[in-house]
Amino acid sequence: MKRALATAIVILSLATATVAFTQSVGTRLGDARGPQQPVLYSHKAHVGKLGMNCLYCHYGADKSPVANVPAVSLCMGCHKISRADKPEVMKLAGYYERGEPVPWVKVNWLPEHVKFNHKRHFAAGVQCTECHGPVQEMDVYYQYNSLKMGWCIECHRRKLDDPKFPASMDCLSCHH
Amino acid sequence: MSDPVVFPRRDFLKLVGLGVAATASGCGKPAQKLIPYLVAPLDVLPGVPQYFASTCRECPAGCGVIVKVREGRAIKLEGNPEHPVNRGGLCARGQASLQGLYDPDRLRTPMLKRNGLWTKIGWDEALQLAADKLAEAARTRHGVALVTDDATGSFQRLAAQWAAAMGGTHLAYEPFAHESLREANRRTFGVAAVPRLDFARPDVVVSFGADFLETWLSPVEHARQFAAQRARPHTRFIAVEPRLSLTGANADEWIAVRPGGEMALALGMAHVILTENLGPPIREGGALLDAVTAWTPEAVQQQTDVPADTVTRLAREFARRRPSLAVTGGVATRSEQSVALIAAVNLLNYAAGNVGETVRFDRTLNDQHVASFTDLQRLIASMNQGRVDVMVVSGANPSYAVPAWAGFNEAFDRVSFRISLGGVLDETAERCDLLLPAPHALESLGDAEPVRGVYGTIQPAMQPLPMFQTRPAGDTLIALAKRAGVGAVFPATWEAFMRAQWRPLQQRFGAGGDFESFWVGALQKGGVWEEVEATAVRWVSAPAFAAPELRGPGDAALVLFATPALYDGRGANKPWLQELPDPTTKAVWGSWVEIHPETAVRLGVKQGDAVRLESEAGSLELPAYLYAGVRKDTVAVPLGQGHTAYGRYAQGMGVNPLALLVPAQDAASGAVALFSVRVRLSKGQGKPMLALNQPDKRESFHEVGQVIPVAALLGAGAAEAAHGAAADSTGLESPMQSRPGRHTEPRQLAPGEKTPAHAVSAFVPEETVRSPRQIPATQGGYGAAQHRWAMAIDLNSCTGCSACVVACNAENNVPTVGPVMIQRGREMSWLRIERYEHAVGEGQSDVRFVPMLCQHCDNAPCETVCPVYATYHNPEGLNAQVYNRCVGTRYCSNNCPYKVRAFNWFDYAAPEKPTFAFPEPLNWQLNPDVTVRSKGVMEKCTMCIQRVLAVKGDARDAGRPVRDGDFQTACSQSCPTQAIVVGDLLDPDSKVTRLSNDSRHYWVLGELNTRPGVTYLKKIQRESA
Repeated sequence: MKRALATAIVILSLATATVAFTQSVGTRLGDARGPQQPVLYSHKAHVGKLGMNCLYCHYGADKSPVANVPAVSLCMGCHKISRADKPEVMKLAGYYERGEPVPWVKVNWLPEHVKFNHKRHFAAGVQCTECHGPVQEMDVYYQYNSLKMGWCIECHRRKLDDPKFPASMDCLSCHH
Repeated sequence: MSDPVVFPRRDFLKLVGLGVAATASGCGKPAQKLIPYLVAPLDVLPGVPQYFASTCRECPAGCGVIVKVREGRAIKLEGNPEHPVNRGGLCARGQASLQGLYDPDRLRTPMLKRNGLWTKIGWDEALQLAADKLAEAARTRHGVALVTDDATGSFQRLAAQWAAAMGGTHLAYEPFAHESLREANRRTFGVAAVPRLDFARPDVVVSFGADFLETWLSPVEHARQFAAQRARPHTRFIAVEPRLSLTGANADEWIAVRPGGEMALALGMAHVILTENLGPPIREGGALLDAVTAWTPEAVQQQTDVPADTVTRLAREFARRRPSLAVTGGVATRSEQSVALIAAVNLLNYAAGNVGETVRFDRTLNDQHVASFTDLQRLIASMNQGRVDVMVVSGANPSYAVPAWAGFNEAFDRVSFRISLGGVLDETAERCDLLLPAPHALESLGDAEPVRGVYGTIQPAMQPLPMFQTRPAGDTLIALAKRAGVGAVFPATWEAFMRAQWRPLQQRFGAGGDFESFWVGALQKGGVWEEVEATAVRWVSAPAFAAPELRGPGDAALVLFATPALYDGRGANKPWLQELPDPTTKAVWGSWVEIHPETAVRLGVKQGDAVRLESEAGSLELPAYLYAGVRKDTVAVPLGQGHTAYGRYAQGMGVNPLALLVPAQDAASGAVALFSVRVRLSKGQGKPMLALNQPDKRESFHEVGQVIPVAALLGAGAAEAAHGAAADSTGLESPMQSRPGRHTEPRQLAPGEKTPAHAVSAFVPEETVRSPRQIPATQGGYGAAQHRWAMAIDLNSCTGCSACVVACNAENNVPTVGPVMIQRGREMSWLRIERYEHAVGEGQSDVRFVPMLCQHCDNAPCETVCPVYATYHNPEGLNAQVYNRCVGTRYCSNNCPYKVRAFNWFDYAAPEKPTFAFPEPLNWQLNPDVTVRSKGVMEKCTMCIQRVLAVKGDARDAGRPVRDGDFQTACSQSCPTQAIVVGDLLDPDSKVTRLSNDSRHYWVLGELNTRPGVTYLKKIQRESA
């Protein structure tokens, strides 16, 4: 009896810990890792099924430090006609008609006091999925990698002696 | 019975602990929203800056600026390199105009005063109310008056036409108007204009009180030319003034003339030139000689305290080394005999043959529309007689800037309805009944014609801020005229009016193209400009020469001077300018009185003690600043402080010394005389605040600011100077000097080994001592670095104007901390201008300005003491500070011999804290590429690393190496004289490499063997006599 209770406690704690662990670190355990968004937008549908290029919406990624969250009008470019009768698309159209930007919840968290530059990584040939994970499989988008310094450095160290695009190990490249 | 579950306790705790920790960190993030555009603007790519050309409106000089805009917010101003006035430089006030744009105390809506209280009112209602009052007043002639600032171009024409349509008067008020200069030139040359002066060509420049490097006429343009003059070793600059100004501090010789004696000295010099026939032959020689016969050198000595032989020496030097230039302006030309003084200087220039050479009437100042003080007095009289029913004020602040004796405020209170179109609640707006706020110049469309031949454009660099419901003053005026029923002559909008004004320019500059492409081209460039034919002038006649008589029974002449930060007071609402150390005293956030140390002893006051200044008009108490650069019979007080309104940063700071003035005007032009009274000095009662950024201006044996005598530069001493030996060494042996010892041999490079970039320095130590970094690192990118970023600062070009300090604040999100923290030495600025007074006294001026910032040492003392590696040396030679790592031990600052590190004692970036330095919308200006530091971390100059990275990225995108000149720090870009040069020391052809190896080079505290990345170039010291 006593042993059964102890076992139950251990198993329960383990289960709690595992769930909490996977949720926060956001590893590859499923789709329900990302936050609830105001419009249930699916990267899987757009990228995986339709094969859209990331740069169609995130058109800053190759030109600017920030990748850019697409304007509502960009979504409406297709959705004025395409699937206009679906409830989530109607939600989107509602925002557009009210003249309200969609209040997307921030997913990717970079630690503070860090400047990340999409353009430079794009130019060096880093694929979007290397950092953002298999976006084409995500119904709900979640942070795939920790984006913490150790994780950055791990890649930078590997590419330190890249003949064409040597990665920088200098603190000032990101911290300024 | 089954086996017991084997589950070690330790592992259990580990797992549970991890789970909880992970949960905690997982829930720690507050939900943050990413708000996209609804419809993305076509030309904006988030993260990529845009640049718009415009024109600075902080003073009448009209410098061209380029506004850097990120995501629709102007975040930085830089001088427009193509603009003919400033050619890339920009002064401190220009840099700070951003804080006018984001002033938290700017008016947000139209306001109506009801029963003495301000209430919000809608635009439509406000316009109708104003229009009704105007229509009523317009029916009775002379019922309407419009007072504007000195705005040139289309707005000036609109204002004049508007006043005409209303049947009223228009008055363009500029506190520092050049009416005496115009009047004197009319009398002596027959041309009522302000000429263009050339400071670059003359070998000898004599300034009779003109503060041409600070506020007078066009300081950035003058500074650039002046630096070209200073670059030639044998040139001379002599300052004649009772108080050594910043301009005077750049002189080779200071003639401490008796207050008001400038004219006599100019005439005495002319007398010598004409009697000794030193000048070129001139037709009017006889007439000129007649005019100056009374001013023999001996007579001049009587009137000016300048020895007769000095007068003769100056005159000979001035006339023999042509072209020369004599100039007067600023404080000296705001007396009751300004026209006489200017005429005397004109005569001197004419006798020496400088007119047409260094004084040219080609690109003359566009100020013919600016009202004279007599015009203002006429308006005040009309107001007093009840003949002005409605008054509209736009841009000007006469309630503050007109001396009290003129009675502007009393007369203004008699006007039955007063409207302000200014954007801020200044003293004038405070007295108004209705406020119709206009947007800031950076949000507006407009133009400026500061000088003949320059047509600058002002374009909105950004949408007006959403919290400010403003309306351009031009649109407001047109709407008021239309609603009042007299606006038929105007097009519907200000923009349409302005475009119509530009049609004639299109005919001239448009090269046959259509208007639209001409217009867009002009906006892109910042305007259009042309060379203007000079008007040839001849001597007409000399006016009656008389020296000004100072009024009152006091014992000291009162010199009121404009500071480079505050100008006429319009800079006082900007914290950057309030905290910008005054170049002369290094005082911030307040007023002071400059008083000679001997006078102070007589009064029994010490530095910072209260001194009471009494004139017949009133009295003031000010903290004393003991300054040998002011005569014993003179005291000097800065203008621009003592605001009773004008926002949180201006209000209650310092005093307005205009209160000491008694009625006095120039005898010939009627201009208001600011230099007209004597004051009685006594010891004051209170303990007023005097916050000095650099209390001590003396230099110890360290020789931070070094000079090289001309002889040494050109002759025998050149070799010695080239090796960094102090040419003016005092012979003292420095206890800090490293001595040769056991480990002093230089390290020998192995065959084939190359010094990595980060270890390259132009510095050649006299003795090589063991350094913490004897073996340069080559790992982790250190071996492959392609650049060594470095800086060269030419002290011979630095005028001490401090534009770089404000530019740095703007670029790097440096907070302002207020006077109390400054007094405790807790200023945050990354760059300061140190002032060292080696010899300040009558006949001599050896003041050295040293811009001091992180030296980016190769052997940085700060790096070795940081326990957490927060400060380290990067592969490209920069000394870096990583905010994440910093734990705030302050060991680095303690160990920094240059004292260039600033510690965040408080949370200047946290909106919820009282120390928050960027109240909304001031925080809109923050540079998104630079971290806003939080409490407890050390910070310092990064050599604008964000710009380095941008330049390297751009070069890589273009597939080319970084070129010399691509990289500019905020300070080097802003410097009007290009005294600061940055670049790559590994590039043998770069400008910075050339300068770092110049024969004048030295390193501050070089004996410490820090191997700095910042090389200084010695100031050339000319013969003082």
